[in-house]
Amino acid sequence: MAHTEPKAIDSTPSGPPEWLAPALDVAAMDVRGFLAEGVDPFAAIMEAAAGIEFGGFLVIDAPFNPSPLRRVLAGRGFSSYGRKLSEGHWRVFFHLDGGADWESGADVKVSPEGAMTWREDDGIHIDVRKLAPPNPMLAIIRLIETLTGNETVVVHHEREPHFLAPELAERGWRIARIANEVVNVRLWLERDA
Amino acid sequence: MFPGSFMMGAKDRLLPPSVPYRFFVAAVVFHLAAWSVLAWAGADAGLGFVGGQGPVLAALHLITLGTLATTAMGAAIQLLPVATRRPLGPVWACKAMFVAYVPGVAVFAAGLASGTLVFQHLGAGLCSIGLGTFGWLVARNLRKVDDLPGVTRHAWLAVASLLLLVGLGFALVIDFTRGILADHGGIAAAHAVLAAYGFMGMLALGFSYVLIPMFILGSAVPDAVGRRTALLSAIGLALGAGGAAFGLGPLAALGALAGLAATFVYLRGMRDTLKSRMKKRLEPFFRMVWVAWALLPLSLLAALAPALGAPLDPWGTLWGFLLVFGWLLSFVTAILQRIMPFLASMHSSALGGKPALLSHLSPKLPVDIHLACHGAALVLIIAAILGGWVWPMRLGVLAGLAGAVSFGVYTIEVLRRYLSHMAAAAAAHHEG
Repeated sequence: MAHTEPKAIDSTPSGPPEWLAPALDVAAMDVRGFLAEGVDPFAAIMEAAAGIEFGGFLVIDAPFNPSPLRRVLAGRGFSSYGRKLSEGHWRVFFHLDGGADWESGADVKVSPEGAMTWREDDGIHIDVRKLAPPNPMLAIIRLIETLTGNETVVVHHEREPHFLAPELAERGWRIARIANEVVNVRLWLERDA
Repeated sequence: MFPGSFMMGAKDRLLPPSVPYRFFVAAVVFHLAAWSVLAWAGADAGLGFVGGQGPVLAALHLITLGTLATTAMGAAIQLLPVATRRPLGPVWACKAMFVAYVPGVAVFAAGLASGTLVFQHLGAGLCSIGLGTFGWLVARNLRKVDDLPGVTRHAWLAVASLLLLVGLGFALVIDFTRGILADHGGIAAAHAVLAAYGFMGMLALGFSYVLIPMFILGSAVPDAVGRRTALLSAIGLALGAGGAAFGLGPLAALGALAGLAATFVYLRGMRDTLKSRMKKRLEPFFRMVWVAWALLPLSLLAALAPALGAPLDPWGTLWGFLLVFGWLLSFVTAILQRIMPFLASMHSSALGGKPALLSHLSPKLPVDIHLACHGAALVLIIAAILGGWVWPMRLGVLAGLAGAVSFGVYTIEVLRRYLSHMAAAAAAHHEG
């Protein structure tokens, strides 16, 4: 299987966590089929997670980086590490170790609002799903205000953010396009030409 | 998909812009009408007003029903479905609500000003239809929402207050001719508590938890804060309205104290949001929010005096003025000032192209004048009520009228700039 290592958003990426080696042998639960059929796999994943004993692993295959799931499972003591294997295929490893240091070995940064950001080939991704309003807007504005170049920002949202456009326009940004998928509304934000 | 279709894809939650704007424009017209009626009535009518039919009661209802409730309706039908992620209801119901309610307010105010019973009854009936439709739309939207306790608990309290205040309002109108109430003043005070702190106040607190952090880009208010203010408000409303209705002053005073506790928790939550905000320089609308936040606790302190037996003139008059013109009118005009250009900007990319900038849609001079006039009106009229002076009252009413004219100019200018942007976008779309 061709592995595409995710790039860290800062210039000093930390490597995979030490617990990853034994996790590689665990069979993955592939939820892409659920999502393709329009079914939210959250309940099935939670059921699987409930059966994991301390020190154990859970591996999920998803069509995108399932950041809200990672946050939820972190709250239940799981550390996580995600890899983008190919376009539309992420593998996320969960390790039930208390989750105290859950993002230290991962490939993402977490904003003060709890949004995850990471870099892919098509731009900087930010996942604001499951955040309480107005935190999604805050996290997005905070991110674009730190950017100086012409990078595209890809937002993973759970709904169309109606109130975002005026704030983006005020900062010289716009929503270039939008795609609706199950539990993942994606918006591509670009600077005005 | 392009920006134009981004807006199109939100049909379930975004209303056509003409729907909320008709409420906002009506609210601005009623604001102007209220100050005009007060100016026409003369200073003597306002001094020592503690109830009774006439132009002052008409002006009071032009503000409460006309400006405050109409703004709340226009804002809620647009914001509530977006905040709760649930559809509101059919657009025709919103339009029907407007058709019944807005003429109802005008007819009711005319009836109160002239003492014409048929206008009072017809106006009250039409207003009740409008308010009932609003209550139904809000309740329908909130029924399955369990993840926004800060907003929904206050909105439920507003709906409950609405039901009670409409019932008491009808009793008061009928009492003018039939004399069915043993204590008209007490029921009027309970009606005022439920209308101002209950219906409008709860909507103001609930929407604050969404709008203020969004407008200043501050952190979300924790759910626990919203739960506490809702609980304290519910206790305060029950004690305050119950104490007023049954002539139990100490009970009403306890209600005011519970209201003060709710206000303290609410303002502390807002302070934390302000501390975390990304917009270091607050926009002009926030000056009116400061005024409103200062006068909310003052209105509750003023409520203690008549509740504990102080004479209604001037203490009851002062309480009513601080509550309606101080806290609520300042807060609602602040929100109107911000939300009109905000919604215009949101809708301005419907034909594709760039959205109109908020900063370009909001002229500053008219709101500066409105702020100065509104502030002067508050200071002068409070002084007039406390001192029993005619001249400060006259000057205060004229300042209020000048402020209302200026706010009207602001509204016209926001709409003119929006329509101008849309005309240019339509031309570009046609050529492209």
